[in-house]
Amino acid sequence: MSTFIERAKVTCALGGAIVTLSALPKAVPIVHASGGCAGTLSGTYNLASGYKGSGYCGGTMIPTSNIVENDIVFGGEERLEEQIINTVKIIDADLYFVVTGCQVEIIGDDAVGVTHRYRNDKAIVLAANTPGFLGDSFKGYEAVLSTIAAELVEKKDVKEKKTITILGIVPGQDVFYRGNIREIERLLSQLGIKANTFFGDGETIEKIRNYGDASLTVVLSENYGIETARVFEQIHQIPYITTDLPIGASRTDAFLHKIGERLGIEPAEIEALLAKERKYYYSYIERILDIYTDLDFQRYAIISADTNYAFPLTSFLADDLGWIPHIVVIHDDIDDLRKKEYELKFKQLGSETKPKVVFELQAGQLLNHVRKSWKYNQNDKYFDALSPTFLVGSSLEASVAQKLGAGFLPVVFPITNRAVLDRGYTGYKGGLTLTEDIISALVSDR
Amino acid sequence: MSKLTEGLTYDYLSSEAAPTREARIETCNAFGGSCNSLRTGMGTGCSKNNSRKFAQGGGCQLNLALGIVSSFQNVVVIIHGPLGCGSNNLGRAGTRKTARILKQRPTTTDTIWIQTNLDDTDVITGGIEKLRQAVLYAEQEYRPDAIIIGNSCLPGIIGDDIDTLLNELDGQIAAKVVPIHCEGFKSKYVATGYDSAYHGVLKKMVEPIQRYEKALPNELADSNEKYRHSKIVNLFNVGSTSYGDEVELSRLLTALGLEVRVLPLYSSVEEISRISEAALNISICATHDDYLLGHLKERFGTEYIIDTLPIGIKNTNQWLRVIAEFFKLEKEVEKLIAIETAQLEEALEPFKKVLKGKSVFVGGGETRIFTTGELYQSLGMRVVGLKPHNFDRFAIPMIDSIDDQEAVIDVAPGQPAEELVILSRLKPDLYVGHAQANAWITKLGIPTVPLFGQSFNYMGYSGAFELARKAARVLKNTSLSQKIVSNVALPFRPIWFESNPFDNIKEAKV
Repeated sequence: MSTFIERAKVTCALGGAIVTLSALPKAVPIVHASGGCAGTLSGTYNLASGYKGSGYCGGTMIPTSNIVENDIVFGGEERLEEQIINTVKIIDADLYFVVTGCQVEIIGDDAVGVTHRYRNDKAIVLAANTPGFLGDSFKGYEAVLSTIAAELVEKKDVKEKKTITILGIVPGQDVFYRGNIREIERLLSQLGIKANTFFGDGETIEKIRNYGDASLTVVLSENYGIETARVFEQIHQIPYITTDLPIGASRTDAFLHKIGERLGIEPAEIEALLAKERKYYYSYIERILDIYTDLDFQRYAIISADTNYAFPLTSFLADDLGWIPHIVVIHDDIDDLRKKEYELKFKQLGSETKPKVVFELQAGQLLNHVRKSWKYNQNDKYFDALSPTFLVGSSLEASVAQKLGAGFLPVVFPITNRAVLDRGYTGYKGGLTLTEDIISALVSDR
Repeated sequence: MSKLTEGLTYDYLSSEAAPTREARIETCNAFGGSCNSLRTGMGTGCSKNNSRKFAQGGGCQLNLALGIVSSFQNVVVIIHGPLGCGSNNLGRAGTRKTARILKQRPTTTDTIWIQTNLDDTDVITGGIEKLRQAVLYAEQEYRPDAIIIGNSCLPGIIGDDIDTLLNELDGQIAAKVVPIHCEGFKSKYVATGYDSAYHGVLKKMVEPIQRYEKALPNELADSNEKYRHSKIVNLFNVGSTSYGDEVELSRLLTALGLEVRVLPLYSSVEEISRISEAALNISICATHDDYLLGHLKERFGTEYIIDTLPIGIKNTNQWLRVIAEFFKLEKEVEKLIAIETAQLEEALEPFKKVLKGKSVFVGGGETRIFTTGELYQSLGMRVVGLKPHNFDRFAIPMIDSIDDQEAVIDVAPGQPAEELVILSRLKPDLYVGHAQANAWITKLGIPTVPLFGQSFNYMGYSGAFELARKAARVLKNTSLSQKIVSNVALPFRPIWFESNPFDNIKEAKV
């Protein structure tokens, strides 16, 4: 049984579905739910995902059936049908996608059935059940993408050896999703690999239709995107692997080796790319050496993140920046087995000190975990304190950083004290950007 | 004491929840026409059941209800529902800090909310146990003065009996336990959320003032106290008023010799419990708080003023005069108004020159848009259209304040598709709009001014000056909207721009 959550850093399945659809090229959600769901959930991401905004047809623009009490009593299918017909008439989209809220699922409206009845040549209309009680945003992401994989992506017998599909970077929940995707595409293209990204620059619904020709699905997450990857495996016979989000040089080296080997690319070719990228990377890292060493910018790192970011971020801070990974507090709601597996990742860290890894759903407990992780000062004259510290988390951790006297950079959703456009933290370039942001945070009071 | 509330009663506390706005007052959220036809439509009552063929996202009463109570000091808000309900708090992370700093309230704790995270199992078994655990967690971790529970659609539909549990817990823990029934599906009018919130507040947080016999009576001290109490007024702030507005309105009331207490947003639980200790309750916006003020009158006999919204010179004058009349300060208020308006008129001159003849369209909350429109009109601008989110008795008298009675009216909560077609034809020089509307208007190439904002002053005389200054500044450089219109697309098919947007409104079947 799930438990209550203090300040959950996710929304619900419907929220995840809406933000996923809004991130797809010229796709428009049709929300079958009460009047507030679409605007509220979309609004959460518009603000809390680095002010990403409403976009093409998000926020108050989202078509929705606006179910009221009367529809709860008599059923809302008729209203949905009217809404679908008029949305296609008024809104210009390449893909319409009906998603559902709690109210209509409890009363048993068959939204998927209504949508299927409506299907015709004029427009592509898909549907999935996404009530809030199905779970968190990641569930909505999976529902949308797995429906697209099953019903929109055309079957192809011949696969392109060097085409892969990227999953696991969840729009909105990953504040930097577009920048992150762009750098991964750039790196892969240098090995001659074409990436299907769903959300990247230049994607179209027409291109997504042709994702069936990929030879491999790469899920950049241990927990999210896997359901969709399995649909690609079962329906399109495309196998999948999971890997970590490549943040900075160390993780990107590992990522490119893993993908390259899997696709049968010559090790020498991979090494040549790494050498070229590393040369570039360190020509810029060199710039911070003076300030880093003169002001002793090594820090005890406190990381508060989801599983997509927790290990890659820790690895960047420890392996690239040379910080001491002290404690990692992870807020995903996953089962014990997956927690254990995830913890093992931290053994790979180059740092002699391995961090304490804690799974904690309640946002308010971070400070307690940090305090418990270090001995108390018993009024000793000489006390080896947990200091200097730096906290990488979400904007919700701002006050904890203040209480700890720690440096602070929000990197994980929600982010409300930074604006994010095309910034990304993946790859070598992302590592440089993250370094820039961290050092800027340390000198910003000057 | 208000014409606006004539015939309304406020004795609802024996019910679990507040009645919806559609049940309590006649109201409308779908109407297309002009000032003139709206007046006729409201008069015959035919507009109240209208709906839309193509609908877009409006608001949810849960957000409005919890937006009020989560501002209280040292409280924890629990949202009884799945993880999406209340998630908009994430978007507001940190924003409350600004208001707290300005109002010199403690800023050491974050706004704390908890979601009961109802899942498919709970749909079958109910979520009461999770709610109990959440309340106990809140009590143990935060020792709040109140734990306020917002009930969402899911438990509302499956029939979770939260009141029984919360009444039981109310006696067992130190915090006051306050249920708020704000299920989104119950009302198409988000303003119901205000009533839902105040229903809970009135039920559980407001107490009669205890007075004790004095051991040593002191006639002089007693009469001093009585005099002081006769001058205490509660000024009711709302989610869209700013600290600047509070300062300005308090300044004006203080000038009349009144002692102003600003309530209830950002107040402590203790301050709210003493809400009945005032000679007069003063509303800034009828749409927000008639339920609260009306009830306080019935329960404690406290008189109230629910009149206009003090935006613009005319409405600020009117608001002050009604209050002054209550205290028999008619002469004093005229002096105040004379000084204030003379100074302000002079200061407005340079802006009038810039704004004269320009057209403006205003969209948002009913009372706010008519008064804001009236202000710009007084500066020489033409109000060419208004889009109230809903329309009811509280704004009917305001229709007359618009010079051009053929100005377009689109009664619509959100619904940017309709609004954008209207604006594409009216092409106003300036748009003044509610949050979440302005970006769409920018894509049409029209410069915008936000209708409200936490860091801006809109009300009173200084607010009028700020609004004039802001509009003149925005018009100094409209490059952004001009660049956006030629580079960013709106999501409509061309045919939509050629249609009559009001055909989208389905007339009520009588």
